[in-house]
Amino acid sequence: MERPGPGAVLRLAWRILAHEKGRTVLAVAGVFIAILLVFVELGFFVAVPRGGMLVYDHLRFDLLLCSTDYAFQAEPGQFPRVRLAEAAKVPGVAQATPLYFAGAKWQEPRGGYRLDAFLIGFDPAAHPFAVPDIERQGATLARPDTILVDGASRSIFGPLTAGTEILLDNRKATIGGDYRLGTGFLGMAVAVMDEANFFRLLAPRPADAVNLGLITVTPGADVQKTADALARALPNDVRVFTRPALTEHEDTYWTTRTSVGLIFGSGLIISFIVGIMVLYQTLATQIARHLPEFATLKAIGYTDAYLATVVMVEAAMIVFVAFVPAAVAAVAIYAQIRSATLLPVDMTAPNLIAVLGAALAMSAASAFLSLGNLRRADPADVF
Amino acid sequence: MIAPDTARLSPRFRAVPLAWRNLVANKRRLLRSSAGIAFATLLMMVQLGFEQGFFDASLSLVRAIDGDLVVTSAYKYRFGTRDPFAHGFLDPVRSVPGVASAAPLYADWQDFFWTSPSDGKPYLVRVLAFDPAGPTVLSIPGLTALQSRLDSDDAVLVDDRARDFLGMDTNAGSSQINGQGVRIAGRFSLGPDFMSDGTAIMGDRLFAKLLPGNRDSAANLPIEAIVVKVAAGSTVPAVQNALKAKLPDTIDVMTKAGIVEFERKFQAELSSAGPIFWLGAIVGFVVGMLISYQVIYNDLSDQLAQYATLKAMGYKTSYLVRSVLAQAALSGLAGYVPAWLLCLVVYRVIGVFALLPLHMNLRLTALTLGLTMGMCLIAAMLAVRRVVSADPAEIF
Repeated sequence: MERPGPGAVLRLAWRILAHEKGRTVLAVAGVFIAILLVFVELGFFVAVPRGGMLVYDHLRFDLLLCSTDYAFQAEPGQFPRVRLAEAAKVPGVAQATPLYFAGAKWQEPRGGYRLDAFLIGFDPAAHPFAVPDIERQGATLARPDTILVDGASRSIFGPLTAGTEILLDNRKATIGGDYRLGTGFLGMAVAVMDEANFFRLLAPRPADAVNLGLITVTPGADVQKTADALARALPNDVRVFTRPALTEHEDTYWTTRTSVGLIFGSGLIISFIVGIMVLYQTLATQIARHLPEFATLKAIGYTDAYLATVVMVEAAMIVFVAFVPAAVAAVAIYAQIRSATLLPVDMTAPNLIAVLGAALAMSAASAFLSLGNLRRADPADVF
Repeated sequence: MIAPDTARLSPRFRAVPLAWRNLVANKRRLLRSSAGIAFATLLMMVQLGFEQGFFDASLSLVRAIDGDLVVTSAYKYRFGTRDPFAHGFLDPVRSVPGVASAAPLYADWQDFFWTSPSDGKPYLVRVLAFDPAGPTVLSIPGLTALQSRLDSDDAVLVDDRARDFLGMDTNAGSSQINGQGVRIAGRFSLGPDFMSDGTAIMGDRLFAKLLPGNRDSAANLPIEAIVVKVAAGSTVPAVQNALKAKLPDTIDVMTKAGIVEFERKFQAELSSAGPIFWLGAIVGFVVGMLISYQVIYNDLSDQLAQYATLKAMGYKTSYLVRSVLAQAALSGLAGYVPAWLLCLVVYRVIGVFALLPLHMNLRLTALTLGLTMGMCLIAAMLAVRRVVSADPAEIF
């Protein structure tokens, strides 16, 4: 008999799906939910390390200088300030500027809870923050005892309107304004300030101890070579991270040293299995329904391989039709999660591709599982 | 004909057999549908288990407080943050009638760096301290028997359930805290929470010595909490009120149950964990409902002729609806039981790796069973409309 072309396969798969619209809609809805589930779990899984990188993503540096005790961003250890001056002399280094971190008790002057806030001191002249709101408010930062507060700080910290007076470790400070960055995993509230204000508010903290050093290289200088030169030039109480190495370090910290990686990782695995279950059940039901028709096709000479292709195409069609609305719904859910949990859950191209790949893998796996029924379709048995 | 006889039996007797026979008629289909429902249920169990485990871990320290009343700074927004008050309040507390014992508890979350015997690096740990000669203030497995060993200038007890990289569960006999040598005098079992990776317990003298920037002696050290035991013959609320009357309003007095609730409220309101896990559970519910709907919808579509025949024979629609609901409930159970068993294994594996206390208990069992039944029954009610509208005359 005449060999049916690829167009015929598509048409047959489409006709099967279009034949009983109710069931097909149901199947697409099931796959939609399964894909959405994978999106949500993946969003969380990726959000945690991304939350850990949020502040780094908005800092200007090519190389990060830190203590050998560095654990993760909020627990960076300290190193002597003189290392920055030494680093600045290394060929290829354009600038080396310090960041100072501290925790402080935040309280409204009339009393109430003493909340934990995370404070960052920096040199505004060095422009370490790539945050427009901070750049814009340089004059505000220069005022004594004035801080800028991250607008994503928890609402329990009260209104963050400019001019509000607060106590930080029982010393008066004024909120000069706010900025949009996100607190990441630094704490419930984050405030940045000029280093002069930082040391006045946190006296008697010695100015000699730096938490992080942000190094920019001169235009044209090789980042990796500069990193190697720094590592050679500086004593071994400090270490140097390139941006990729830092991302890897923070990722590893969040996914292996804390419970979160495992929690969301296991959620992801289970969501994947549930997705396969839904798809398999859907496809197997479709095949079981059309067993007489498939048997007839077999009887008139179509091969198992041809019918298997039809089922695969059917599965892929269902997945594609379900994928688009699932991706759209996921964007909406991500926005909800962002506002509810303050985690940076975003739809990114890698997320999109990973889930599409996973969905197609799920459809292939479930189509493969349901082919057993098809192979058993014996024309003689069915009628 | 058998049906007319069966029809005369009371509904209770005949509802289940039809549902049961429908359910087991096609074994492969049953396996497929119950596997789908089981995984959706497992997803809910794991997510809700995480939620419970998160609270259990966060509350483990306050639950371990061994007293009837706890005196803390009124400015504390949660127990797990440093906000100590003057040592001078200890004597007024002790002088209140009905106070059998009042023992200071010192604690710190941000200032103590433990050198891991595993990799030699310093890591931030939670430190708890008290007077080893005084009454017990914490009831932690393994601690009471070791308390007297803390009566030494360099002895610490460490948590054998701390995170691996701290090396607290190794056989190391000594290490360093804040750069000073300490002797590991024993191990207790508490476990990490979402803020601290591990805990060290020491006597108040050593705490005063190691606390950065501290100039006070142990006898004058600011106190994180006073753990009060109420004397026999006095009631806890009466002593609580007497203490509140005696102390300024910068100091708060809470019952043990009150401080656990206080900490729970903080975690529920300010951490993201609750909504994240509930969202996961809701997704599991919706997935389960959809799987269940598909199963019932397809089953009803296949059997529509039979249902129509039953109707034509005089079976009431309400009977058929009940039968469909019973079938849905049975298929929910068929998914729930294997999911529950599998969940025990999953909890155990995750508990070992994440050090998160995950336990299947009555609350979780009842909650997830209710959710599973709910998703199956809602799905059945949505799908059953086909049977209700099945007209024998149209089918044939």
